Amino acid sequence: MSTIRGRLVASVTATLGAALFAFGAVLYLVQRPERFRDVDARIRFQGDLIAALLAEESGPGDSLSAPVGDLGRTAQVVGTVRLVIRSLRDYVVVISPTRELEYASSGARGLPVQPLRSLVELGEHPFTGRTLGSAELASEAGRIPIRYYLREVRAGGRPGAMVVAAAPTVGVVLPPDRLIPAMLLSAAAVIVFALLIVYLLVDRTLQPVDAIVEEVEAITDGRSLHRRLMEPRIQDEMARLTNTLNAMLARLEQSFASLHRFTADASHELKTPLTVVRAGIERAITHPKAPPELMEVLEEALVEVNRMAELVDALLTLARADEGRAPLHLEPVELKDVLSEVSETASILGEQAKVAVSVAVPERSVTMAVDPSRIRQLLMNLLTNAIKYTPQGGEVRIDWEQVDGNVVLSVRDTGVGIAPGDLPHIFDRFWRADQARRRSGGRPGVGLGLAISKWIVEAHGGTIAVESRPGRGTTFTVTLPIGATGEQ
Amino acid sequence: MKVLVVEDDRTVGQFVQHGLEQQRMQVDLVPDGREALAAASQASYDVIVLDLRLPGLAGVEVLRTLRDRGVATPVLVLTAQDALESKVQALRIGADDYVTKPFAFEELLARVEALGRRPQAIAPPVLRVMDLTIDTGAREVRRGEKAVELTPKEYAVLEYLARNRDRVLSRTLITEYAWGYHFDPGTNIVDVVINRLRKKVDHGHSKKLIHTVRGVGYVLKS
Repeated sequence: MSTIRGRLVASVTATLGAALFAFGAVLYLVQRPERFRDVDARIRFQGDLIAALLAEESGPGDSLSAPVGDLGRTAQVVGTVRLVIRSLRDYVVVISPTRELEYASSGARGLPVQPLRSLVELGEHPFTGRTLGSAELASEAGRIPIRYYLREVRAGGRPGAMVVAAAPTVGVVLPPDRLIPAMLLSAAAVIVFALLIVYLLVDRTLQPVDAIVEEVEAITDGRSLHRRLMEPRIQDEMARLTNTLNAMLARLEQSFASLHRFTADASHELKTPLTVVRAGIERAITHPKAPPELMEVLEEALVEVNRMAELVDALLTLARADEGRAPLHLEPVELKDVLSEVSETASILGEQAKVAVSVAVPERSVTMAVDPSRIRQLLMNLLTNAIKYTPQGGEVRIDWEQVDGNVVLSVRDTGVGIAPGDLPHIFDRFWRADQARRRSGGRPGVGLGLAISKWIVEAHGGTIAVESRPGRGTTFTVTLPIGATGEQ
Repeated sequence: MKVLVVEDDRTVGQFVQHGLEQQRMQVDLVPDGREALAAASQASYDVIVLDLRLPGLAGVEVLRTLRDRGVATPVLVLTAQDALESKVQALRIGADDYVTKPFAFEELLARVEALGRRPQAIAPPVLRVMDLTIDTGAREVRRGEKAVELTPKEYAVLEYLARNRDRVLSRTLITEYAWGYHFDPGTNIVDVVINRLRKKVDHGHSKKLIHTVRGVGYVLKS
């Protein structure tokens, strides 16, 4: 996702997942040695107790024990051991030195033969002292994991006897195959919950940002720079952002104002001297006694002054268009009148350039709300452009059609065309294709014609499109809304 | 017709003054707003040509003051700022028309004449050059007894030449008058129209009216 919200949710998921995994792994590894402590203590106690009781059974050399052969006492001890062992629910067995099962706890008695045998076998390993360990008892129903405690009875009348105390660990600890799904499930639940919280939180945090974006968009459309963002009551990061944006808007407004002042000043500063020069030239050139050679020079000067005046005008128009202030004078205009005027000029231009020019003039009335001088300028720009780039013997056509509430004008030529790489740039200011410059020979125009044309179309709420195949020709298509006047 | 020209730039002011005087108008030229107010209050003018940007008192202020004083003389505003606001503003406070700098004199003249509305000041409705007659009201052209059918641009060029008979008019001036559009310098659109005019007006007549001045332009000779 390309939104902050999406990225935040994704990174929270990843981080939380990794943290939960690490947590689970550590927990599992740490509790592993600890988890048998209770069981171990219990079986040790049981094993030691039984061993102590067995030691009581007969203890030659033990001052505290009964005399050898005191059968009554032996029987009493045996009874006690049996009684105690019987009461134990864990697996406790006593194995005689001759490796016979002597006693078994009620838990051990409950075991099937197979695991009981494995339990007994544990005590058959030759060893001394005591030991703790883990083992598994094989049974038909599966393997029973256990902890066991081995205790050799040394003192008393039964040296060599072995006490095996064991307890199943099933239920004491969760084995990994049960632990992992449980952990995964709870981790997933935690993550989903956290995501929900994060999503809502981010949503609430970003809501003011969305609001700011909308406000700024409304302000920067070019006409509302005097407006400012509303400052939030709480002085948090959003308030700082708002303050920063407001400061930026203030500077923007200021620079736009100075640009506006500059264009107004520049228009005056450039146009007044141009008027002076023009007036002088016009006076001299219309003087009845002006010699022809002087007039020739003056004519050249007049052409240049006009070019300059046109350039200044184009620059100011575009500068103003950038400010979003379109100086259009809309009025009801009959498309027929515009096109028939263009048609005459087009035929004159075509005759001069030896290009067949035709203009489709509507027979019925189509009235549009447009700025007539701008629309004329647009059509003349496109027309002179088309004729300029069409070799002798070529063709230029201006067509019109009405599509819904729009008038679609097309200017089609069979000229040199525009290279595909140049197409995206032709409406740029001061842009001219090298190819076109070489071909046109004479002095190039200033390269503002199409930029101005584009502005004219867009200021009227229309669109301009171009389609071209090098060597085959170019078609400019202008779509203009008919406007409020409508068709009569 | 009496015209007051308020323009601080001497060259432009004199250009307008001389041009209008050649059209047999009586022209007073003042360089700033205060003098303009004084002049406009003393004498009665048919048209006032007012530059919007003046030293001392801005053109807009002059105009407002004039209107406040009840001077109803038509005012043509000269402006370098063709921003919509200043035009709308000027029209709103009582200007009758405006011309954007740099302007061609013909344009200024046409607007001054239109504002003056004095029949004797307007060029005669029928122009005559030898046996060529141009009825500017009906836009009808005759050579001798024969009517000549002209397209709008042909008519505009011929009328401009006839208005300035015996005066050489450059291609640029003709283009500006007839089209008001600046064509590429290489585009000799005027030559094509003159050729067509020659076929329609001069063809078959021993006395040619349209003459070429090499490198400059054309003249209608009587």
